[in-house]
Amino acid sequence: MSWKVIDRNAAPDKAEAPVLTDALVEKIRVFLPRYETKRAALLPALHVVQDHFGYVSWQAMQELAELLEINASDVFDVVTFYTYFWTHPRGEKVVTVCRSTACAFMGADSVLDECKKVLGIGEHETTADGKFSLQTEECLATCDHAPCLYVNERCHKHVKPEDVRRIIEDPNNAKLDIERSTLFDGVKGA
Amino acid sequence: MTKIIINGTEVETREGIPVLQAALEMGLNVPHYCYHPGLSVVASCRLCLMEMKMPHPKTGEMGWAPKLMPSCQTPVRDGMEVRFDSEAVKRNQRNCMEFFLLNHPLDCPVCDQAGECLLQDYSYQFGDSTSRMVDPKYVNPKKDLGPKTLLYANRCVMCTRCVRFADEVAGTGELCVTNRGSKAEIDVFPGKALDNPLQGNVVDICPVGCLLDKDFLFKQRVWHLHSGDSICPGCATGCAVRVDQNENVIYRLKPRYNPGVNDWWMCDEGRFGWKYAQDATRLNRVITRRGEAVESLDWAGLPQTVRFRFAEVTAEHGDASIAIVLSPFMACEEAWLVATALRKIAPNAALVLGPVPLREQDEVFPKGATNGDAKFTISKERCPNRRGIERIIGALGGPTLTFAEFSENGGKGEIKGAWISGGYPEKWVDKELAKAADKIEFLVVHDLFASELCAPAEIVIPACPFTERAGSFMNIAGKLQPFEWAVKPADGCKRDGQFLQELAEITGIYQPESVRKLMAKQMPEFAEVAAPPKMPEHQH
Ligand code: SF4
Ligand code: FES
Ligand code: FES
Repeated sequence: MSWKVIDRNAAPDKAEAPVLTDALVEKIRVFLPRYETKRAALLPALHVVQDHFGYVSWQAMQELAELLEINASDVFDVVTFYTYFWTHPRGEKVVTVCRSTACAFMGADSVLDECKKVLGIGEHETTADGKFSLQTEECLATCDHAPCLYVNERCHKHVKPEDVRRIIEDPNNAKLDIERSTLFDGVKGA
Repeated sequence: MTKIIINGTEVETREGIPVLQAALEMGLNVPHYCYHPGLSVVASCRLCLMEMKMPHPKTGEMGWAPKLMPSCQTPVRDGMEVRFDSEAVKRNQRNCMEFFLLNHPLDCPVCDQAGECLLQDYSYQFGDSTSRMVDPKYVNPKKDLGPKTLLYANRCVMCTRCVRFADEVAGTGELCVTNRGSKAEIDVFPGKALDNPLQGNVVDICPVGCLLDKDFLFKQRVWHLHSGDSICPGCATGCAVRVDQNENVIYRLKPRYNPGVNDWWMCDEGRFGWKYAQDATRLNRVITRRGEAVESLDWAGLPQTVRFRFAEVTAEHGDASIAIVLSPFMACEEAWLVATALRKIAPNAALVLGPVPLREQDEVFPKGATNGDAKFTISKERCPNRRGIERIIGALGGPTLTFAEFSENGGKGEIKGAWISGGYPEKWVDKELAKAADKIEFLVVHDLFASELCAPAEIVIPACPFTERAGSFMNIAGKLQPFEWAVKPADGCKRDGQFLQELAEITGIYQPESVRKLMAKQMPEFAEVAAPPKMPEHQH
């Protein structure tokens, strides 16, 4: 058979010490009283882990499952549902190209291709130096300036393929025009 | 009772059931993937959509609502009117089918499910013959989900039946959906494989060829299989099963719908535990020992020889020295036939219930459930018919012995003539029994496999496993469930019921119903068997 077979009987390598440090666990516990069930705290907990490590490792997923008393498969399910969470290390900067209708009509495909060429990586991959990751996302809510892409939280509008290299090489490409609101109660300083 | 109108026909349905269920029960073929009566409703496949009459928001006048509704998620209500035969409904079905096949590899020629695949059937019945898809298809890797099951993700229709089964029935929750949208896949957490005692059911409920049973993989094209309706002899739960065979070779067991007993499910031990039935080491000829000499015996003369020898021993030692061990693996009919046949010769022969293999406790599902809200129970009693044999022994009256007493008395040389039925899939003869067997002057052993009993036995008769027999088992709840044979007896063997009927001097072909009629004269409770109802034709 020429098809690839993934063997799920084998467990991923186990880290020697837990990856969720006491401090991280404390950060997660803060969310527990907000919800009726522990399961419900999975999303904020994943944010804590993602923001701290840049990704959610197999090990972290298992530890989260234990902490929240759910199946590891449930954590895996949620982590992979949201493209925001990474299962392998994410780069310092994330280039997100819109893949929804408006942008698609306006040429997002060629923008994405150009990103792949400039960064030398595919979708949901990270450059060898750990500086950039590339991903696609559903509508980025800037359809009126399609096609658009984000570098971290900064939106670049009306992007043409020939703009891509300039945007990626610009050291300030992720600088926000307006600072993020201090009311944002996610994990700050990410 | 609720009255609703489906496709213009008024039907009475049970209260509160989904419209889809009502439609299936009235015989309509409504395509559906995600709905399964044993699982929660998610209404995600959108194949079962229907049109429903609703009051107009302004005029209040009843009319067909423009939006289609999932019939699996809409409970029946009195006076409701729905239809599945309109153009809008059919268009939806066509579109859904085209959508399900977007990434499907159309690899039916190498797919185990072909022939019993709901993608094939529904495409043919409700789909279009062409697809408008021009882009390349996604190709997903195959996954080894666990020791017994494979996932060919390309074929998945994302109904999530399997995931819900693991969560809701098995209670083990190994399965999950990873990624999203067109990239969604069924998966398990690495190292936490799909490996629970009920896991085989996910293969059954997968409507397509995505989840595959490694044991059956590439073994048979399903249209070559013929099936016999049987009862699993693995434990006292008595799951209704279907034995699938081709040319007298068994390939797999599947559960049959049997409400209140096994519902739609069965356990893996039963599903894969039948292999002994085709084991090459099974006893396959009748032998008799006279001193050191071992001779083959002919089936034709056997009943007479057995009766004659029992009569001789009875004449010599009296009928109180005769014992009949009835195995809890025997059908009620078989046990009754042996007991009646031999009691005719030795009216005071003792009846003995053979050993009942026991485990420490029942295994209850979903994992962590208490007995009260269990959806499935694997009984700790590892044999199918303890209840039935006990009833027969009780009803026939006369002397009885416990199995321990039998071994003990036998060991003391008090038993001169004995019939021992075995039929256990595993080694079952303990030291005490072997010792007793040595002392019994005339021993007849009717068993599947050779054991310590064979050497001291004067006559060894090969028995048949459940797949070659017919009769009825009484399960732990006292339900008398009939089973039929699926394959012919192995070479050299004879169907137990047939032989035992001849032993009891009843002529004709063995038919469990006729034997039960005779039994019912003494024991009215054996007059009726409880065969499970048929599932609606188009339910799956
Ligand atoms: S693997 Fe089968 S049962 Fe599971 S979601 Fe896919 S089609 Fe449904
Ligand atoms: S479609 Fe791209 S931002 Fe909305
Ligand atoms: S949406 Fe009703 S059966 Fe799937």
